[in-house]
Amino acid sequence: MITTTSLTKTYGTKTALSDVSLAVPDGSLYGLVGPNGAGKTTLLDTIAGLRKPTSGSVDVSAKRHEIAVLPDTPRYDGWLTGREVVALAQHLTDVGGTQERIDEVLALTGLADAHDRRVGGYSRGMLQRLGVACTIVGKPRLVLLDEPASALDPQGRREILDLIAQLRGSATVLFSSHILGDVQEVCDTVGVMAGGQLLYQGSLSELLVGGAVPRYLVRLREGADVVAVHLRTVTWIDHVTAVGEQALEVQVDSLDQAEASLAKELAAAGARVVSYGPQEVSLEHAFLELTQ
Amino acid sequence: MKTDTMSLWKLEVLRLTRTKRWIALLAVYLLFGLLGPLTAKYLGEILGVAGGELEGAVIEFPDPVPADGMIQYVSNAGQIGTLVAMVVAAGALAFDSIPEMGVFLRTRVPRVWDILLPRLVVPFVAASLAFIIGAGAAWYETWALIGPLAAGDVLAGVGYGVVFLAFVVALVAAIAQVSRSILATVITSVVILLVMPLFGLVDAISSWMPTSLLNALAEIPAGTEASSYLGATGITVAVSAVLVWIAVKAAGRRLS
Repeated sequence: MITTTSLTKTYGTKTALSDVSLAVPDGSLYGLVGPNGAGKTTLLDTIAGLRKPTSGSVDVSAKRHEIAVLPDTPRYDGWLTGREVVALAQHLTDVGGTQERIDEVLALTGLADAHDRRVGGYSRGMLQRLGVACTIVGKPRLVLLDEPASALDPQGRREILDLIAQLRGSATVLFSSHILGDVQEVCDTVGVMAGGQLLYQGSLSELLVGGAVPRYLVRLREGADVVAVHLRTVTWIDHVTAVGEQALEVQVDSLDQAEASLAKELAAAGARVVSYGPQEVSLEHAFLELTQ
Repeated sequence: MKTDTMSLWKLEVLRLTRTKRWIALLAVYLLFGLLGPLTAKYLGEILGVAGGELEGAVIEFPDPVPADGMIQYVSNAGQIGTLVAMVVAAGALAFDSIPEMGVFLRTRVPRVWDILLPRLVVPFVAASLAFIIGAGAAWYETWALIGPLAAGDVLAGVGYGVVFLAFVVALVAAIAQVSRSILATVITSVVILLVMPLFGLVDAISSWMPTSLLNALAEIPAGTEASSYLGATGITVAVSAVLVWIAVKAAGRRLS
């Protein structure tokens, strides 16, 4: 759905995006994570056509009216009611849309009771919900969300994340967040950005089972130190760290190599293995490994 | 059921009505429309009451003629009314002044012209209506207090005034899309409109300046030929078209 090729954006001497080649598969829920200033908003703006890249290209397989963009702090004319804002969004993106659809998205975003209030009196959280309502009312094929839940309380965030998850199957979603838990909860594909660079992209499961740094956790009945000495002599094992007296963290060149040969090496070391397998790390763990 | 409750045109009408900007426009032009002929009629008495004798000297005013009613209307409404029209137009046309609002619109229309057109037309129509209503009030009151004015002269003057307002809105549109700030748009527009009459001090070009159209409503009833503004009208229409083109081009360019 979205392909960027060697995308670079500079502001004077500051590089906001550096050689970013993003690939967002059709139908995916793609989470773009990174610390503040990583370049997430610049990347989303460039994909949305709001900023011109310094070099590189953006290819989006959707027409203009099929793309919905939600900035991180949505704002609207304060003298419009919530319903009017959603109706305007619908008019601009889905001319044949119905009043029932407006009612539906207002209810989905928890704004049914506030639909006839002027948005100048909305809280930031309500504006964020209104932004989501405007984004989904036209049934877009591609949704670009910039920190969609950042201003919300836990309950509001839960509801917005559920809404995003419901888009699975009907739209491709690219959303940025610095809240790793949000991405981990709803996304199937993830891109990790820092300093304007895309450090990783791929399936969330690959990242979490060692995609960042391939690693196995080996639990032993005894003799972890002896086994460690042997494993450190194996060429495709990069690093062995003792985790207490009965476990080893084994960093490997590749998961494929480990799947093929780790059992043999453990047997050669005389290890009494209780269990072993790819180490499942949290997104936060993987993120920190990639960005530090 | 089809939804047609909102559109970019309705948005601009609501901007005028809900923000009460239409009241500001109408009030300024109507106020000066009513005060202009009154001032022309009673200026001598007013100054007399305020202390018309200066060290024994007595200021005497000639009897007012009907054209004076329109001169007073144009001299007052032409400045403050134009300023209010610029502020109203800038409020609509500088839609990127709050970037998130600009993003909402820009990412939902195929062409930026779709956003610009209602924002050009609605403020222009509103300002023109207010100007025409004010001129109508001035015309009526001039007739009632001083004497009749030839309808053809007044209508021609009003027509030229409306062309001038089109130029003002086009100027604001171009500046708004370049500056993307309401305040900067208003200040820049005011400076340009203040500087333009200075060029008018050069006789060779004075009759070609768009600002000369503003005075047509005062000068034609006073005896100037209506046809003498045709050159300025042509220039103004052409410059307005160029300004709108600049606005479209500037609005179409992406953020830095």
